[in-house]
Amino acid sequence: MAVYKRRYKVYEGALTPAWSRFAVLTRYSLSSLFSSRLFTGYFFLCSIPLLVGIAYIYGANSAIVQSMLGIRVNGSWGINSSWFATMLQVQTALGFILIAWAAPGMVTQDFANQALQLYFSRPLSRTEYIVGKIAVLALLLSCITWIPGLLLFGLQAGLSGNGWGWDNLFIAGAIFVSSWLWIAVISLLALALSVFVRWRIAATGLVIGVMFVLPGFGEAIDFTLQTYWGKLLNVSYTIRLVWANLFRIHPRSIGVFRTDVPVWSAWAAILTTCVISVLLLNRRLKAREVVRG
Amino acid sequence: MQTAKDLTGRELRAAPIIELEDLDVKLGNRLILNRLKGALHGRCIGLLGPNGSGKSTLINTLLGFYPPASGTARMFGEDIRGNIKRLRSAIGYMPETDAFIAEMSGVHFVRYMAEISGLPRDEAMERAHEAFFYVGLGEARYRKLGTYSLGMKQLAKLAQALAHGPRLLLLDEPTNGLDPQARQRMLQLVREIRDTGEVSILISSHLLHDIEECCDEVLILKEGKIAALCNLEEERKANLKFLELEVNRENGFLEAIHGLGCECASFGGGRLKIVLPEKIHVRELYRLAAEQSVQIRRMNFRRDSLEDIFLKAMEGKSTVTKGSANGSL
Repeated sequence: MAVYKRRYKVYEGALTPAWSRFAVLTRYSLSSLFSSRLFTGYFFLCSIPLLVGIAYIYGANSAIVQSMLGIRVNGSWGINSSWFATMLQVQTALGFILIAWAAPGMVTQDFANQALQLYFSRPLSRTEYIVGKIAVLALLLSCITWIPGLLLFGLQAGLSGNGWGWDNLFIAGAIFVSSWLWIAVISLLALALSVFVRWRIAATGLVIGVMFVLPGFGEAIDFTLQTYWGKLLNVSYTIRLVWANLFRIHPRSIGVFRTDVPVWSAWAAILTTCVISVLLLNRRLKAREVVRG
Repeated sequence: MQTAKDLTGRELRAAPIIELEDLDVKLGNRLILNRLKGALHGRCIGLLGPNGSGKSTLINTLLGFYPPASGTARMFGEDIRGNIKRLRSAIGYMPETDAFIAEMSGVHFVRYMAEISGLPRDEAMERAHEAFFYVGLGEARYRKLGTYSLGMKQLAKLAQALAHGPRLLLLDEPTNGLDPQARQRMLQLVREIRDTGEVSILISSHLLHDIEECCDEVLILKEGKIAALCNLEEERKANLKFLELEVNRENGFLEAIHGLGCECASFGGGRLKIVLPEKIHVRELYRLAAEQSVQIRRMNFRRDSLEDIFLKAMEGKSTVTKGSANGSL
């Protein structure tokens, strides 16, 4: 099918490995996202907590900086598991805005003009499609959450010395697990809601709504029924409760003031959110809709 | 590394392109395709039927979008159950409806689709450009798809179906919404692709003319069942020829025609209708006319057209010809 020959020719060359095809979706989605200057700008803005964290850790471990600033604090300026959990909280807040921006646009463009049937008429399964799209969100959020988190932990461990890193190794584990837990929940939820409504603006609104309106609904349930289980509708609350457990801190230090709900139920709520998201994706992500009637 | 040839190599070409084995497809609780059975061998197969007859459902089932409720279908000799992903790499699909990403440029989109089909980046880029030139959209390939006209979108859909070099093209209503010129261009492209002999084509349409222009085999569906499955070429050859004659006098000529073994009816005023068996040539009539000193003033020669086949099928007079030996009703 050479341009000058204008003749159709079957392709008989080498093919890429079947397992790697999902990465095509990831690559194109990333390229599409970063073609927006606003998005690129915001993404780099998300690295501010890292820069602030580096400066803080350096200051906390440098006598010169402390003397220049005229501050003299004994100990490690409070760089402990609470500090890392708070840092993660800031990073995930920035990451949430990123997700609310990226996820709906990435998926709804495939639905807007029914391009989905073209994906699935190729050797690409629905699972690979989801993995390809989630990989975009996971990559972006990793750059904002656990990668800088572990960099900060490494920096603190290196500058502090005296076996600080070894003694606090659980913090590294907590950063990693907490970040991935949040990435998994928020990515699945954002994708599922985007696939559910298939309209970018509505999808963004719904993602934000689930995070901010649903907790209000949960509070209303608690107030009406005189219970505390309504809090399980608050994704942010349940995740922070689990984080507090992983970072071995009191939930109050990351803004969870009421701890009526047991941690196991928070885990169960997170798991349920993930399962519902997967079911929603399975139901709605189809090349062809079957109208029942 | 796996190659495209591995997937649909020579050993598969000998098999029928598509085989249907008591294929039932249900959507919701409705039976849309009802015990379809047949083998399609043609280079270009027409899928005909009125709206709602199950044409698109059959294509969607072949693509694996809908699972068979019972029975199965085979493409290139491979069962779609369990092999669909492998088979899809040898299929190019042009859907009936719009299917594009509006924000992408044409060539970028086609390259993207080719890469998902398994082509490496450079080859995908090269073939995306080639496909755009091939369908005649070379100059518009850097424009965003959202800005294309309807005709251009149809051609872009064809380009994405071709770019990865499939061995089977599934074209669902390819001339939908096209003006006459664009329609001719689309049909011309389909014929060109067919004539390369490198790819088999399945075209779904409710336009008889489109199918007649391109296809050598036709599968007619009616209410989810096969109403006819025939090889058009063989059907045309096998059919009796109908002639309408106008002569200056009938006396003696009519009997002579009967003597040839033709059925003949007179409508008065020298107007005759003759059914000419395959073995009798028209020149025999000229010879008879010369012998009888009869002037043939008008002769209309007509074979059974696809329209006749279609109408017969719709009336319930089913057709299965030699070319589709396994077809059944």
